[in-house]
Amino acid sequence: MQNRILPYLLTLPSLFLAAVVIFWPVWDLIQISTHDVNRFGQLRDFNGFANYYAFLADPDFLAALWRTALWTVLVVCGALLLSVPVALILNTDFYGRGIARVIIMLPWAVSLTMTAVVWRWALNGESGMLNSALMAVGVIDQNIQWLSRAGTAFPMQVLIGILVTVPFTTTIFLGGLSSIPDDLYEAAALEGATPLQQFSEITFPLLKPFINIAIVLNTIYVFNSFPIIWVMTQGGPANSTDILVTHLYKLAFRIGKLGEASAVSLLMFAILLIFTMIYVRLAMREQRA
Amino acid sequence: MRNGKLKRSIIAWLLLAPLIVVTIFPFAVMLLTAVKPRQEVLSPTWWPSEFRWSNFADMWVATGFGQALANSLYVSGIATVGAILISVPAAYAMSRFRFAGYGTFRQFLLVSQMISPIVLVLGLFRLMAAWGLIESTTALGVIYMAFNVAFTVWMLQSYFDTIARDLEEAAWMEGAGRWQTLRKVFLPLCVPAIAVTAIFTFINAWNEFVVALTMLRSQESYTLPIQVFSLVAGRYTIEWHHVMAATLLATLPVAILFTWLQRYLVRGLALGAVK
Repeated sequence: MQNRILPYLLTLPSLFLAAVVIFWPVWDLIQISTHDVNRFGQLRDFNGFANYYAFLADPDFLAALWRTALWTVLVVCGALLLSVPVALILNTDFYGRGIARVIIMLPWAVSLTMTAVVWRWALNGESGMLNSALMAVGVIDQNIQWLSRAGTAFPMQVLIGILVTVPFTTTIFLGGLSSIPDDLYEAAALEGATPLQQFSEITFPLLKPFINIAIVLNTIYVFNSFPIIWVMTQGGPANSTDILVTHLYKLAFRIGKLGEASAVSLLMFAILLIFTMIYVRLAMREQRA
Repeated sequence: MRNGKLKRSIIAWLLLAPLIVVTIFPFAVMLLTAVKPRQEVLSPTWWPSEFRWSNFADMWVATGFGQALANSLYVSGIATVGAILISVPAAYAMSRFRFAGYGTFRQFLLVSQMISPIVLVLGLFRLMAAWGLIESTTALGVIYMAFNVAFTVWMLQSYFDTIARDLEEAAWMEGAGRWQTLRKVFLPLCVPAIAVTAIFTFINAWNEFVVALTMLRSQESYTLPIQVFSLVAGRYTIEWHHVMAATLLATLPVAILFTWLQRYLVRGLALGAVK
């Protein structure tokens, strides 16, 4: 009898804590988003979906939504395209592989906030070290104000996003590669398969589940990644590098449009849930197989 | 054969070179700026005329680094100890009992790991404000704890599952009770797994940005990421050599720990789900 209740007693505290920290704020957000609310957070009348219509009609929101899609697709695809060859190289046996591996994993070990702070300085227009490095090798002949225009700031943020996503993605692929038995390649080599054929016939198909997992997980992480853009430009100049999370943060804590901000929060929460469901299905399918 | 490996090594390093340069670049910027004499920081030269290590001591005083360090240690400590204390029993139950709702609970853990605090931060802020807990580093620690519980239970369970039951069963045969078996046989075997999970929780809390940025409003309560960010954001004169010294000091210990333990994370996290 005791053994039947025991597992529930043991799991209950953690279940409670993990659920409360999600559902309680969500409940609060639902309340605010369906009410008229002043900037100090006092709820007034129920107003249905007015807050939702308001943010959907906001050109800043639409721009941020579009930029979020661009940001996510570019970072996820960029990291993917870079990580597959990097993982393939790191999977071969060569001198200094351990060191190469540690170096490539380094960005993962540093918090995004700190990375973004360092890049903000490195990209400084007057005395930044990227400008001096590029000038020294003759790529540019005058200083570029990287962060004062969206045309250069956003691509830079995407590149930094890719750079910090590569380690995690590469690690997943290395795990995938190590699960492919060597005799497959030996057999293929005996049959006269070229390295390219070996890649497309053996490596790629067997790596595919790992690629799927990497895409979904990275989409989740990148889609709501806040520090890189917030620390480097705070979505500026003139909101031109805003993505949904920075737009949301401004709505909530700068402008004080709490109703719209909670509506945007819930929309993002829903998008996040959809991606997470895809991930759970992928993960569970792999587990069964 | 030896020759083949040498050739392969050269090709591999050449192919990786661009990525390695870009990866090392920010670290070089951070280190070199941190040790530059003040008057050289704004001149765009790479190498400092001398390595001024005293920058670190100056920075410590000028930026209030000690207070932020203490806050970060306190917040991350609460998050880690709390999350582990709550998760070990849950992970044990999931690993050693069969019970109704097991599958649902596991899926819930997987889903809630993915929920990022940023989409909830407005709600969290309002709840904390209603309880008068803005500025409270203790409350921040508890929030981190709650957000990490799903991760710690998941990690711990995937390790507990790999520990063979034979030893526990043998102990039962010898007449030891469940509690005694747990304390004398099971937990000692789990110490490494618990330590690794605790360290990752600590690092997660140590690095967290958006919730801290929202909840902590005055410098006395800032954690390190917020403190460093406040040295940069909205200031006319930024003492970049101090900022870089602070960044380096706040990052280095955690980065070394992380690099050392990273393979465990992958095993528990990504491949624990994929298996």
